[in-house]
Amino acid sequence: MNALIDFYAKHSRLIDQIGVNAILALSLSVSLQAGQLALAQAAFMGIAAYVSAILAMNAHWPLLATIAAAMLVSTAVAMLLALPVRRLRGVFLAIATIGFGEIVRVFANNLDALFHRTLTGGAEGLSGIPNDATTPVIYGSLALVAIALYLLSRTKFALAVALVREDEHAARGVGVDVGSIRMLSLALGGAIAGLGGALYAHASFFITPTDFGFARMEQILVWCVVGGVTSPLGAVLGATLLSILPEVIRFLADYREITNGIILLAVILFAPGGLASFWRGGAVRVRL
Amino acid sequence: MNRITVPALALIAIAALVAPSGAASKGPAAGKDVHVGVIADVTGGAGVYGTPQKNAYELANEDIKSGKIDAGGANLVFDVQDAATDGAQVVNLMQKFTTDGKTPIVLGPTLSGEAFKAFPIAKGANFPVMGTSTTAEGVTAIGPTVFRDSLAESQVIPTTVKRTHDKWHYKTAAIIYGDDNAFTKTDGDIFARELKAAGVDVVDTETFHIKDTDFQAALTRIESKHPDVIAIGALFPEATKIIQQAGKLGIKAHMMGGNGLNSPEMYSVAGPAAQGVVVGAAWFSGAKYPSNVDFVKHYTAKYGKGPDQFAAQSYAAAQIIASLVRSGAITKDEMANGLKNVKVIQTVLGPVGFDQNRDVKSSPVILSIVKDGFAYFH
Amino acid sequence: MIAQQLLNGLFLGAVYALFAVGYTLVFGVLDILNLAHAAIFTAAAFAAYSLVAAGVPLPLAFLIAAVMAGIIGILLDRVAFAPLRARNAGTLVPLISSIGVAIIIGAILRGIYGVDERHFTLGGVDTGTTIHAGPVTFTSVEVAIFLAAIALMVGLSWILRATTLGRRIRAVAEDRIAAALLGVDLERTIAATFFIASSLGGAAGILTGLEYNSVTLDMGGPIELKGLAVIILGGMGSVTGAVIGGFILGAVETLAVAKGLSSWRDAIVFGVMFALLVLRPTGLFGKRALRAA
Repeated sequence: MNALIDFYAKHSRLIDQIGVNAILALSLSVSLQAGQLALAQAAFMGIAAYVSAILAMNAHWPLLATIAAAMLVSTAVAMLLALPVRRLRGVFLAIATIGFGEIVRVFANNLDALFHRTLTGGAEGLSGIPNDATTPVIYGSLALVAIALYLLSRTKFALAVALVREDEHAARGVGVDVGSIRMLSLALGGAIAGLGGALYAHASFFITPTDFGFARMEQILVWCVVGGVTSPLGAVLGATLLSILPEVIRFLADYREITNGIILLAVILFAPGGLASFWRGGAVRVRL
Repeated sequence: MNRITVPALALIAIAALVAPSGAASKGPAAGKDVHVGVIADVTGGAGVYGTPQKNAYELANEDIKSGKIDAGGANLVFDVQDAATDGAQVVNLMQKFTTDGKTPIVLGPTLSGEAFKAFPIAKGANFPVMGTSTTAEGVTAIGPTVFRDSLAESQVIPTTVKRTHDKWHYKTAAIIYGDDNAFTKTDGDIFARELKAAGVDVVDTETFHIKDTDFQAALTRIESKHPDVIAIGALFPEATKIIQQAGKLGIKAHMMGGNGLNSPEMYSVAGPAAQGVVVGAAWFSGAKYPSNVDFVKHYTAKYGKGPDQFAAQSYAAAQIIASLVRSGAITKDEMANGLKNVKVIQTVLGPVGFDQNRDVKSSPVILSIVKDGFAYFH
Repeated sequence: MIAQQLLNGLFLGAVYALFAVGYTLVFGVLDILNLAHAAIFTAAAFAAYSLVAAGVPLPLAFLIAAVMAGIIGILLDRVAFAPLRARNAGTLVPLISSIGVAIIIGAILRGIYGVDERHFTLGGVDTGTTIHAGPVTFTSVEVAIFLAAIALMVGLSWILRATTLGRRIRAVAEDRIAAALLGVDLERTIAATFFIASSLGGAAGILTGLEYNSVTLDMGGPIELKGLAVIILGGMGSVTGAVIGGFILGAVETLAVAKGLSSWRDAIVFGVMFALLVLRPTGLFGKRALRAA
């Protein structure tokens, strides 16, 4: 028990990061499973992080209230984004949503100058955010997301999502409202990313627009694909392993960066269906 | 004299050979191991700033062994860990160092944004940390164990504006700064504030993004407003290109900037256009302090290029820690108290101490770029 | 001022276009986004720098480095894309493997060159002769870079239109399976595509390095995302479109700054891209112009 307490004292930050990262990976996996390569998760996360941080610092809202408000805003933004991009598929959707992410980042940098007051803190960031997203809060949230996704997977909604992913025409043929399914899956992804973003803000003391740029988006996508895009389990697995990896290979010193790249490449080449495909016997292939 | 035996003479001779050139003293911590944690972005986007920091600590480790830096006979070692310009890694390293039971103090991280994420952890553990390149406002306000030996931009730019204004008597100015980086954004804000305070009319403000390479559109616009002086809020990769492209476009306005322009390569990269550009900085490579002359010489010999300000401030941090260890500080509380009670320590930055806000107490140097580096601006 | 700004945009756009042409060629043929394109851009600039530093004349160094970039491109395909292609792994998985390769190339470059900026000539850019023509100022080096970029793009267009290889590339882009049935050697054609795309991306890197006299590890960073904007503007897979898209991006960026909107520059660029995708997903120049190039 003491060893466990000691382990936690030394690694609690990493443990918390894993929880938040798993939530972020889940948020992307939701839209990937609907066949949508929508890469705006970092932007949703950032918007929610700012909303929750600003409410906590300026209006002194309690943690749960700021999380709820942040999720509400990120969900609304995701739904608004879903409207114009509803006709875009595959790489086109990916690029449009990456572009949206860049626009959000520019706004985060310039909002204060625009309104002549301190909101996001611009490039200098927002410092002194209450550090109240504790490990139980983070893992409780992760558990809630997992349970919600599990329950959802047993509904007709999940069936419709799978249909839309596999064949939109067929889905339409059996009366599935493809547009609504796509929008709802984006909104769900936005809500979960918002949860991740709010927790990120409340576990980091400080946020800055670069926390939510393309590099973050790339990271979340890599977690999902390495873990396996077809299953929520894969997303959690990918986020967990890749969050730990840099610390585990720290002893490699100068060779750490290249090892990182080689491991990523090797996993993708040997398990294109992701790590989760190993114990499920063969990859279920999602064509995106 | 007769009584000295041959074996004794041999011993003395051996001792003379083995004795380090700097002849380290035997302090209260003699023989003890002191393991200092260093967090630096050796790789990733800020690698260009973190690598000179790593180099400086490696040089310091050698200089402690050889006695050039006197650590009172303690086995003082700086353990540099790469954070890869990743905030998560910075945080994990800070937790590792503050809980491993053998590290009494952490130096770094490289960027202010990283410090805002990691220093609160040190504060919570009542653990001393010292930034060497974290220049943003509010860093030391994080907690009572947070120090820095880097001059903030707010300590450098007001003097730069005042000295250039006294000399050039300019009436109008333009500002160009990076709006997506904490360091350069602070520069832009402080230049705007100080220029206004000096009664200068800021006729144009342009922004760029970090890693931009082409500034001609912004410079063309600036030139159309005919400012007397251009204030540059940039780090040196962008600053060299701004100056060089201003030269190409035939812009004749005076130019000035802050710490970010203090790189040994300004002239060699930016070319003749850099001649006369004024740089307010925390350190002058040509300063005649004995340890600085040595540092510049040895760093250049070891790494094939001169140190920059990131390296100098890290080496100075190593000198400060060595001086604390020399007087017996080896635990985290002794380090924290030692830093609080520092009067004056001789470093490559000159004599430094800390004020009541735990910011470094030293004066900025105002330099002017000349053909083979920098000279004092008069 | 506006004449000078348009000229600034024109020089900027030429290099954007050259970079994007390779980006879009790979997309047109394989339907994948190659996120290692920017890493090859950087690698070629470093190679050219090394050659020039070793005393190789610049034009020869340019040629060798561009060919090296092309070979890296072929290796990239063999290592990161071909195995996935064989397993029919879709388009998302190759995107990730290209990120892996980009990390590896970056790490190797850092291992060889360290983090310091490298320069082709010391003592400032060898800008050649500065030319003042009425309201505008430019240098002979800028003109040479501009002409080199244009020549390379004209060359590519000729290869695609008038050679057997070009016909094969277009056939594979049109329909891989049909092309294979008609006797086109798929893997060789794809290798040739990667060679051409990567040597052009490499050439863009070398020219960028020369224009600003600066070669850095992260020089490919900004152009990676802007390249996406360019190929969207022109229509994904369209070579002509990418060229025109490059010049449009150069002009949009420059004019945004000229109008005093430098803080919003990138939001404007990506806003235009977003709007175009939504309103006209096939780009300004219609669908798949590569097939008709």
